[in-house]
Amino acid sequence: MLYSYNWLQEYIGKKLPKPEKLAELLSLHAFEIEEVKKQGSDWIFDIAVLPNRAHDCAGHQGMAREIAVLTGLPLALPKRSTIKTQKSTLGPMKVTIQAKSFVPRYSALVIEGVHPKQSPKWLKERLEAAGVNSINSIVDITNFVMLETGQPLHAFDYDSIRGKTMTVRQAKEKEKLETLDNITFSLPQGALVIEDKEGLIDLVGIKGGKISGITSATKNIVLQAATFDPTIIYKTKKQLHYTTQAADIYAAGIDSERTTEALERAWTLLKQVGNGKVAQIIDIYPAKIRPATIFLNSQLVEKILGVAVPQEEMKRILKGLGFEIKQTSQKRGVWQIQVPSRRMDVSMPEDLVEEIGRIHGYNAIPSKFPVLSLQPHERSASFVWRERIRDLMKEAGFTEIYTYSFLGEKDKKRFGYQDKETKKIIELENPLSEEVAYLRTNLLPNLLKQIAVNQKRYRVINIFELGTVYAKEKESFQEKKELSGISIGKSFYEMKGIVDFLCESMGITDVWYDNYQQTPELAPSALWHSKKSVEIKIGDEEIGFVGEIAKSILSNLKIDYPVAAFSLDEERISKFAQENIAYQLPSRFPASVRDIAVLVPFQTKVVDIMNMIEGTAGEIIQDVDLFDMYEGPELPAEKKNFAFHIVYQASDRTLTAEEIDAIHNKIIKNLEQNPDWEVRK
Amino acid sequence: MPIDLETLGREAKTALESAQNLKELDNIFHAYLGRKGKLTAVLRSLGTLTKEERTQIGKEANETKEMLAKIFEQRKNDLLREENRRSEEKEWIDVTAPGKKLTRGHLHPLTLIQRKAVEIFQDMGFAVVEGPEIESEWYNFDALNIPKNHPARDMWDTFWLNPKFLLRTHTSPVQIRYMEKHNPPFRIVAPGRIFRYEATDARHEINFYQLEGLMVGKDISAANFKAILETFYQRIFQAPTKIRLRPSYFPFTEPSFEVDMQCILCRGGGCSSCGQAGWMEMMGAGMVHPNVFKAVRYNPGEWQGFAFGMGLDRLAMMKFGIPDIRLFYGGDLRLLQQF
Repeated sequence: MLYSYNWLQEYIGKKLPKPEKLAELLSLHAFEIEEVKKQGSDWIFDIAVLPNRAHDCAGHQGMAREIAVLTGLPLALPKRSTIKTQKSTLGPMKVTIQAKSFVPRYSALVIEGVHPKQSPKWLKERLEAAGVNSINSIVDITNFVMLETGQPLHAFDYDSIRGKTMTVRQAKEKEKLETLDNITFSLPQGALVIEDKEGLIDLVGIKGGKISGITSATKNIVLQAATFDPTIIYKTKKQLHYTTQAADIYAAGIDSERTTEALERAWTLLKQVGNGKVAQIIDIYPAKIRPATIFLNSQLVEKILGVAVPQEEMKRILKGLGFEIKQTSQKRGVWQIQVPSRRMDVSMPEDLVEEIGRIHGYNAIPSKFPVLSLQPHERSASFVWRERIRDLMKEAGFTEIYTYSFLGEKDKKRFGYQDKETKKIIELENPLSEEVAYLRTNLLPNLLKQIAVNQKRYRVINIFELGTVYAKEKESFQEKKELSGISIGKSFYEMKGIVDFLCESMGITDVWYDNYQQTPELAPSALWHSKKSVEIKIGDEEIGFVGEIAKSILSNLKIDYPVAAFSLDEERISKFAQENIAYQLPSRFPASVRDIAVLVPFQTKVVDIMNMIEGTAGEIIQDVDLFDMYEGPELPAEKKNFAFHIVYQASDRTLTAEEIDAIHNKIIKNLEQNPDWEVRK
Repeated sequence: MPIDLETLGREAKTALESAQNLKELDNIFHAYLGRKGKLTAVLRSLGTLTKEERTQIGKEANETKEMLAKIFEQRKNDLLREENRRSEEKEWIDVTAPGKKLTRGHLHPLTLIQRKAVEIFQDMGFAVVEGPEIESEWYNFDALNIPKNHPARDMWDTFWLNPKFLLRTHTSPVQIRYMEKHNPPFRIVAPGRIFRYEATDARHEINFYQLEGLMVGKDISAANFKAILETFYQRIFQAPTKIRLRPSYFPFTEPSFEVDMQCILCRGGGCSSCGQAGWMEMMGAGMVHPNVFKAVRYNPGEWQGFAFGMGLDRLAMMKFGIPDIRLFYGGDLRLLQQF
C-alpha cells in the first residue's frame, strides 16, 4: 500500500524523522518497505501491510500510530464534528439487513444538498500520492477517509435508489450487476448485494453499482460506513477474479467500532468543501463487540524471545499501541490487558510478546545456543541411500539434472502415452499454461527433452535425474521417487552395465532381467524400443526398465542418435540395499582359465548358455565371463559366436588338470546336446 | 707357480671398473669369476696345496672374490642406471601437452547446496525428515493456522489437483506430519521440492526447493534461533556474518521474522550485491504458533520453539553466483558440468 510522508506528518505532532530513517525504523519494527520514492515535495512509501495488520494499518492514521510509538513523537489525530440531523425534505431511507450474520454493523448518513464538484488541490494531491484518481469531491472524500482511517466508505446517489429501500442480502443464482467501472458481473450465489425496490444497486464491500453511482447531477447522497463478514467478501472477490482496495480491507476484516468515526470525519470534510445537511442517521449494530482481554505473564517475553525487556518499557510499548493495562499483580507478574478493538490480530499472550519484541527491537535479542542432551538424531535411511545413489551415478560419469515436475498437453502424444496410461496422469486444476498442465509420471520425457536440447552441443551425453513422479491410482494420488539415467553414446549393454554397477554397489546381488511379457510401470510402453529393452527385477519384484528409446519417440523429438536409458523405482531398489560388507577370503589355491566358444543361432540368449555352463560345473566354477559376442560375414548366416572365459578354482585344494578337463568336457558335451549350438574347437 | 692374488685382484678391479657396458662388464666378470675364470681357477686349485698354503691363499682368494663381487654389483648398478637414462633420452614427449580427459560425473548445484545445508544442521544435532509433494489442504494450510477464505492464503499461490489436494507450496506441512508422530523435544530439518502458481522470472519458479527447520523444547527461544542460524550462514558461506530479524507475518508463527544476513561481501557496509543495504533477505521464520501445537495435540503451555523455511535455490544462487533461478531446471550441461 502507498503512504505519503507529508500525509503521515499531519498526524504526528512534531517533525518526522527523515524519509530514509523512517523507512528503516518501520522496516526493523513493523513492516517490510517495498520502496521509498520522491514525488514532488513528498515521499511515497510502498509498505507491505500483511493481512494481519490490514485491520488497523490500512490507513494513514494507523500507520501514524505505529510511527508515534517507534519515534516517541506525539500522535495528533484530526478533529471530527459530531453529527446532528437537521430538518429535511427527504423521505427516510429504509435499510433492511437480511443477511444479518454477514453484516455486523451498518452505519450510514443521508445527506441532503451536496454539490459534486472538483476537489480542492490538497485533496487531489493526497489521493494522487496514494495512487487514487480524483473523480469528484464526494467520491474523493470517501476515498480520502478510507485512506486515512482504513474504514471503507461508499456514497450512493439517494435519488437513484428506487422506493427508498435498501436491502442487504445474499445474491441468488445467476444475478447480474453492472458496477461503477462498467463491468457487468454475473454474481456467484451467496455474494453480498444491496437491492432497492427494483433491483441490485451495489456489490457490497467490493464495488458500487453503476445505477446508484454519484454523478455531477447528484444532489443527495447516502454515505455508507459498514462492516462485513471478511470470509464472504474474500470468497466473492476470488470467485469474480476482481478486487478493490476496499475489498482487500474487508477481506482481511475490520472491527465495527470505527464506522461512526469515519462518518464523522467524512461529514467534517464534506462541510469543508460545500454545504448540505444530515437528514438521517442510520446505525444498525445489533451486537456490540467487546474488547478482548489477555492475561500476560510478563516473564513470557523473556522465555520466548530470550531477552529481558524492562517492565516499564513493556508498559510504554503496550500503552503506546493503545493497549490498556487494566491490572498488574506484581507478585505473579501477570498483567490483565485490554486489546483495542482495531487490533483484531491480537488475541493471545504470544501476540503481545510480538508487539513488545518488535517495538523494543529484535536487535536486542542475543545469539545464544540452547543447552541440550547429546542424544543423537534419528537417521533417515531413505535419505542416505538416495544421496548414495547420486554419488554412484556421478562415479559412473553421469551429470545430474533437475527437470520440472510437469508435463505438457503435447507431451502425451509425443511420448506415446496410450489411453490406459493417460488415465494415470494427474491433471492440474489450475494449470499455468498448456506446457505445464500435468504432472510427470516418469522422468524420461523431460530428460529426453534435455537430450534434444544438448545434442547440438555434445556428442556424448550421460545425464541422470533422481526425482519424484506422480500418478493417479483410482481416485487417489500417488508419488514416488524414481532414478533415470539416459545417454547418447552408451550402448544397450553399457546401460545395462550401469544398472548392474548400481546394484552391485548397493550390495544387491539378485538383480536379473526379465523379457517375458514385460510392461514398464509408469513410463508409456511405447517409449521403449520394442526389442532392445528389458524389465529389471530383484527377486519377483519389478524395479525398473532398461533399454533403448523407441525410434518413433526419437523422431518425434528430432533426436538424431540412438538413446539408451534406464529407470528404477528408487524406493524399491533402496529397500533391497545392503550396507554391510563382509570380507570374502580369496582362495589360496590357483585358478585355471579355459575359454570356450559357441556358435549359436542369432536369437539365442547368452543367459541360457551361461546357465548351462554354471549348472554343469557347480561350485568349482569361480566365474563365467562373456568376453566376446560376434556376428559377421565370416560366420554362417543367422549365426553368432559367444566366447567365454571360464575360471575354475576351488577354495580347499589345487584343482588337477584332469579334474578340470573332465568338467570342461562335460560342459562341451552338455552344450552340444542342443543341436543348434556348436562348440568351436 | 706363484699365485699373485694381489695383482690378479687389482687387475680385475681395474677391468671391472672400466667396463663400458653391461655386456663388457659381464665378460670381464666371467673372465675372473666365471666357471673358467682366473680367480675360479685359483680357488679350484686350492686342493693341490698344502694345508698351510691352503689356509692362507684360500682366505686371500675368498676376500678377493668378495671384493670383486661387490665391485661388479656396484658397476652393474651404475651401468644400468646410465643405460636406462640413455634409453629414456629417446623417449622425449611434449610434457606440456594436455592430460587425457576423464569422463567425470557431476552433481547438481542444488544437490550440493542441500547436502551442505543438511550437513551443517546435522552437525548441530538436527534430524532429516521428509514429506510428500502432493499434500492435502489440511497439512498445507489448515493445520498451519492458515484458514480457508482468508487473505493469508494469497501469500501462497497454489497449484490445485482437486478441491482437497494440491502441490505443497512450502515444506512446512512436514512440521505437522512430524509432530503428529513424535513428541518433543526434537530438532529437524526437512528439505524438498515445493511449488508456486506464479509467472516465472529470474527470481521465481513454478517448482523450487526449500529447507524447513523446526526445533521444539521447553524453552527454545528466539535467541537460540539466532545462534543456530548465524552458525549456519557462517558455515555455508565460510565467512563471518550476522543475522538480523525483522517483523513479519506467517500464520503459523508468532512472533514471525524476516531473516536478513549481513552481506558477506561488504560486511554490512553496502555494495552492489546487497543493493547498498548491507543486508540480504534470506528467509522467513518465527516462533511456532500455539495453534500449530494445538493442531498436533501438543500442550502449547508446555512447549515452544522456532521454525524456519529457507529457499535453497536462492542460497545456491548466492553461493555459486548463478544469476537466474530458471537455470537450475534448464538442463544446460554448460552450467551443470561446472559443478
